[in-house]
Amino acid sequence: MNAKILKTIMLILLLVCLCLQSNVSLALPSVQRTVLPNQLVLLVCEDHSLPFVTIQLLIPSGSNRDPSGEEGLSYLTAKGLILGTLKRNATVINEELDFIGASLHSSSGRDYATLNIRVLKKDLEKGLDLFMEVLTQPTFPEEEVKREVQKTLAAIQSAEDDPGDVAEKEFQKALFLGSPYAHPVEGTRESLPRITRKAVLQFFKTYYHPSNSIFTIVGDITSDEVKKILLPTLISWPTVEIHKRPFQSTFAKGPETVKINRNITQANMILGHQGVSRENPDYYALTVMNYILGGGGFSSRLVEEIRVKRGLAYSVGSFFDVGKYLGSFQIVLQTKNESAKEAITLSLQEMERIQKNLVLEKDLERTKRYLIGSFPMRLNTQGKLANFFTQVEYYGLGLDYPEKYPSFIQSISREDVLRVAQKYLHPKNAILVIVANLKEAGME
Amino acid sequence: MIQLICIAKKYVTTVLILLLFGLLFMPPSEAGLREQVFETVLPNGLKVILLENHKSPLVTFQVWYRVGSRNEPWGKTGMTHVLEHMMFKGTEKTGPEEFSRIIQENGGNDNAFTSRDYTAYFQNLSSDRIQVSLDLESDRMQNLLLREEDFRTERMVVMEERRLRTEDNPTGVLVEQLQASAFQVHPYRWPIIGRMEDLKRLTLDDLKEYYKTYYNPSNAFLVVVGDFKKEELLPRIAKAFSSYSKGVAPNQERDKEPFQMGERRIFVKKEAQLPTILMAYHVPNLHDPDSYVLEVIATLLSGGKSSRLYQNLVREKKLVLRADADYSLLSHDPYLFYLSAEPLPNKVNAEVEKALDQEIERLQRELVSERELEKVKNQMEASFIFGQDSIFYQAMVLAQHEIAFGWRAIDDYLPSIRKVTPEDIQRVAKKYLISDNRTVGILIPLPPKEGKPLPEGTSIKEKIIR
Repeated sequence: MNAKILKTIMLILLLVCLCLQSNVSLALPSVQRTVLPNQLVLLVCEDHSLPFVTIQLLIPSGSNRDPSGEEGLSYLTAKGLILGTLKRNATVINEELDFIGASLHSSSGRDYATLNIRVLKKDLEKGLDLFMEVLTQPTFPEEEVKREVQKTLAAIQSAEDDPGDVAEKEFQKALFLGSPYAHPVEGTRESLPRITRKAVLQFFKTYYHPSNSIFTIVGDITSDEVKKILLPTLISWPTVEIHKRPFQSTFAKGPETVKINRNITQANMILGHQGVSRENPDYYALTVMNYILGGGGFSSRLVEEIRVKRGLAYSVGSFFDVGKYLGSFQIVLQTKNESAKEAITLSLQEMERIQKNLVLEKDLERTKRYLIGSFPMRLNTQGKLANFFTQVEYYGLGLDYPEKYPSFIQSISREDVLRVAQKYLHPKNAILVIVANLKEAGME
Repeated sequence: MIQLICIAKKYVTTVLILLLFGLLFMPPSEAGLREQVFETVLPNGLKVILLENHKSPLVTFQVWYRVGSRNEPWGKTGMTHVLEHMMFKGTEKTGPEEFSRIIQENGGNDNAFTSRDYTAYFQNLSSDRIQVSLDLESDRMQNLLLREEDFRTERMVVMEERRLRTEDNPTGVLVEQLQASAFQVHPYRWPIIGRMEDLKRLTLDDLKEYYKTYYNPSNAFLVVVGDFKKEELLPRIAKAFSSYSKGVAPNQERDKEPFQMGERRIFVKKEAQLPTILMAYHVPNLHDPDSYVLEVIATLLSGGKSSRLYQNLVREKKLVLRADADYSLLSHDPYLFYLSAEPLPNKVNAEVEKALDQEIERLQRELVSERELEKVKNQMEASFIFGQDSIFYQAMVLAQHEIAFGWRAIDDYLPSIRKVTPEDIQRVAKKYLISDNRTVGILIPLPPKEGKPLPEGTSIKEKIIR
């Protein structure tokens, strides 16, 4: 055989082998960031392993912008997007989406609303077309809005069967004292009937604009397709300035107990207080501290003391509920009524313990290994990637956040853990919400 | 001659480059899992199912035991699930709850779940940590300590779990009662979590015997999906599990449920806000090709917002908050096709039932249009593709097929769905979705005010303090 041909073949084979081997460290998918002329931030992450794409759009307006007395407005507006547009009514939209097997969801949280679609590559243009149509041309038909209100009211009523949900709502109400995080995102029985189509339309016109919004697309799309199919349609979304409203919170300073009597076998409890925002520089130290206290499952103290040693609960844990603004810290658990007091005592004890004593070096090491080692699992599906990059952008963490994260965690010392435990945990001023058979719990 | 060689060289180069890219970016073809999945059975009977997926440097490592609530004796219900909890309570080598701590320390997540037909244990970790799973899982397959004090506390934990999922959950109680009525003989009649009375009198000896019977290599299989090389992993698996001798594969026969001869109707009265209506029909599983038609019917009825139940009961008639059809062909023994509905306040249950009946009658009377059927098939195909994005989900689907029938059946799924005709749907609806074959369960909220709304403007705090 010709030496040149042989050499070429061997070179190709070598390349093949190298490429097959180098697949192992694909830990950090690359993402392209562009700010469009209309101020929309576009994030693109290519992944051609499967023939579909996932899109997430974030609109920075959530229930914290609900006017007082119209709680649930942000929620209804988000839900309302897919209830009819200039060109199509809700039935047609649903039919067209289902026909291509796409799923389109809109929802609102406290700080922002999201619109998501997952669609096969072969239907990308159709899916994108529907997406942009509901985003930019919804009509919020009167009948549809009314029906959505009725559905939401029924859902709120149904949720009252869930003592955990009841506890959560009572906790938010008690802690946030009428500030924008106090009410449930979906509104209340009192506020929802007051919301009109006009109000929804106004909310939409005020907040649904490209400025400060984030459009993330992950999956089987090339940069050429981004240029030819995606950009023209995104750029056509007109810019309008949005006024930044100041956010003011007032927090209840405990100690306080909210008791709700129910004919149930378990006491559903939340013990908590004011927390932090995502942007607090102590966020990483708090992540480490909370993991040891009650966030780390079987590696945490709350699970060890309350579940493993004493069998008092199936589900017990702690977390800092962080948002754009100051959130809450919560310990959440359920235990049979008779054990309620014991569980509360143990929870408070663990809060005090981590404030008093340095955590063990081995516990700190274990925590870091988990947080750093498990990071790639936050990025292993299209949906997770879309959500991850949107959050990174929303909180201004920088697209190199995955590379920086290990050092953020690695740098935390035992003294840091102690310091943040002392600064941010308030066992003596906690709010306790208990939904239980109060007589059996000895808490009448 | 030289010119030919030059052309050949270019061609070869192009082909090889295309091959190269193809190998890197080849999407897993849904018709081709049989080619991609590798199966072998170790000398001790342990089946090993491997699927390489190099998209990210992660692996899901799963051990599935062919034991579920269906294997329990009456009087010891919930035992399978309690044993699942005890699997985390340690061996000679690994202390109580050390298992999860070790996995977490290696940057992984782990958990387990028990169903009617199986108990499964999984770890999701970086591909360079597989050995941790191999060591821990092989150890606890037959070396559990099963100590009295661990059993006592863990049983308490399971009782709390039951309180959370069922005792304090009105719909949970309804489902439990419904299953106890739909099945009178077969073990599917009792709940996976177990009856509280049985949990209270369960003994450690019961568990030890159950463990010996069901936890052995011939009654288990491994599923590993992710970033590994099978030539490299297989010898390590063989080594880790080699110390076990071939156990006796336990008898998996259970009493068959006799033919249902007429409609059954049960009521549950419990404190609740809104009623719930359930209808459960006896239907076949994957062993019968009608099961694919039932899958299509379920999607036709409640897949997406243009589905019949959503469009007709939620949107048009405004009768319900939600209505769903639920079915899975992956049941070891024939199970149930469920219709469920949660009426809106102020609606009469009989009206909701009638609306559900009308949807069934329509399936029996009218042929589904080509377009609507095409829509349903598109939804199911898209859903299958979306599911391939998760290695965890890939492993789950393989394993569930293996439990019910054999994992190779997964390649028949989409082709069989595609073959379903409007006539099939009509025939299957007429055969199984008939009232003589169903059990209806209705949750009646206490105090029993059928469908009346609560007074306007009632504040939450006032209402709930009773």
